[in-house]
Amino acid sequence: MPLKSEKILNLPQGTEVIHLEEALQHRTLTRTLNDLYTSWGYLPVKTPVFDFYDNYRQLLTGKGKDNIYRLMDRDGDLLMLRSDITLFLARQMGLLLGETELPTRVCYSDIILRHQHREDISKNEFFQTGVELIGSDGLEGDMEILLLLNKTMSKLELPYYLHLGSRNLFNLIIEEKNRSIKLIEALSERDIESLRSEFSVLFTPEKSAFLCTFFQFIGNATEMKTLLTRGKDFLPVEALKEAEYLIKLSEELNSTGIKGELRLDLSEIGSQPYHTGIVFQAYMDGLDSAVAFGGRYNDLLAHFGFDAPSVGFSILLRKVEALLKKSSFEELELKPVKAEGCSWKERFENAEKLRKEGRIVTL
Amino acid sequence: MKNIEKEPLTLALPKGRLTEQVKELFEENGMGFSFENRKLVAHDKQGLLKIYLVKNSDLPTYINHGIAGLGVCGDDVLFEAGYPFYKLKTFSFGGTAMCIAGHKGDVLEYTDKELKIASKFTNFTRDYFSKMGIPVEVIKLNGSVELAPVLGLTRYIVDLVETGNTLKANNLEVIEKLADINVHLIANPAYYKIHYKRINEMVDRIKDGGKDE
Repeated sequence: MPLKSEKILNLPQGTEVIHLEEALQHRTLTRTLNDLYTSWGYLPVKTPVFDFYDNYRQLLTGKGKDNIYRLMDRDGDLLMLRSDITLFLARQMGLLLGETELPTRVCYSDIILRHQHREDISKNEFFQTGVELIGSDGLEGDMEILLLLNKTMSKLELPYYLHLGSRNLFNLIIEEKNRSIKLIEALSERDIESLRSEFSVLFTPEKSAFLCTFFQFIGNATEMKTLLTRGKDFLPVEALKEAEYLIKLSEELNSTGIKGELRLDLSEIGSQPYHTGIVFQAYMDGLDSAVAFGGRYNDLLAHFGFDAPSVGFSILLRKVEALLKKSSFEELELKPVKAEGCSWKERFENAEKLRKEGRIVTL
Repeated sequence: MKNIEKEPLTLALPKGRLTEQVKELFEENGMGFSFENRKLVAHDKQGLLKIYLVKNSDLPTYINHGIAGLGVCGDDVLFEAGYPFYKLKTFSFGGTAMCIAGHKGDVLEYTDKELKIASKFTNFTRDYFSKMGIPVEVIKLNGSVELAPVLGLTRYIVDLVETGNTLKANNLEVIEKLADINVHLIANPAYYKIHYKRINEMVDRIKDGGKDE
């Protein structure tokens, strides 16, 4: 057999091939989730595969910026491939929607293209499924999205942990822009020493010590109430209200009997600069990073010309699929039978009959 | 369905001196462990931890992929790996410094052309000087970096310096300290989020005499 060239043997970084049973499982799962979203009133949208980079330049930071594929069109304009559907969707909705159409519910399932390091192949960030609720603010919108996320995760039949926090809470406490960048960095690394040192520049030693504990808090509503009692003197009134809102949200969610374990997590402040309210991430045992994430971004659409509060979530579906063998999705029936008959007519008719009974039949 | 609360936490340790120091510290805090002859997996006496012994530079890869949820690692290795980890605790031991060094009496000159530096720590070196607005050309070496100025490959090197004895023996010296390098208990963020209660309990148990007294 002739040796295959390196280009034949490898795919470019950031893309993948799936086939046969694995592709069928992917399609079945995508269809199941799309049907779920439709039943909740969410209509599908398709976003372009690439768009003008300049439209998003201000909204891209950190890793989100680093892993983008950029290219140039024939007119010399810089383009970017779709690396996050939320952004592309916000631009489309910002242009299309009018006040009378609110609230609007949209869902999407599509390929995303992100660079991934040659030696870091575990991320499986190839396919994003999600929903956006546009034009619904506060508890009304937040509850709907979190309940739909729970329903989505329930469909996967895998245990998950939902960590719920708030970017707004962080913004209300840390007003100083320069410091907030360093604090976000320290929080993203859960680097206690850097947190201490950054807080101590802004606040009294007592308040710094409390805020270190506060922003590392993970727990349930009761534990958070105890924390707030301790912190009444250190938190601005608006921040206290936002913290109480998170507690209310978690109590309402738990009252519905959600399947995952809900945790209030004040270190969840959102990785995107456009987050303005609640933020959340869902984790599953056996996965190396969050499988679903989302939040509120009330100013994002305004960036594209239409101001409407929005909230939504995304799931990196290919990440979950690696775990689905442990769930009911492994029960996909893939045992085709061969149609019998003495003539093509007979074989065709027999095959059709069996297919009507739900069998998979080859000719 | 497995009960994750009953499974031991997974911890990767780097082969070498650091592991001996961690072992000593964990022993003092009631979490002693030992690796049987040439084995690379061990459990602590209480069954709280499953410990893997890995090559220092591979440790971030194991944590990033979630094979081990926790690890003990220096800033130097973390910087080169570039993965996003949580730093849960900084240890009192293993600290060192990242320095730029050259021939005795030499100074840092970068006015006329770009700096040419040999180093194992190419990401650190490139980032450090980029942040200062100084163009650098970095030559990757895997060991015995001190030879680079001696043999004329580059005028400067960037390397970890503890005592400075190797530099001295080769007629070199530190020109400038670039950063303190500390050793941390790190965690894969998703792993931490799932197991945060048990991990916090473990971190609270580790009383590092050099830092927590």
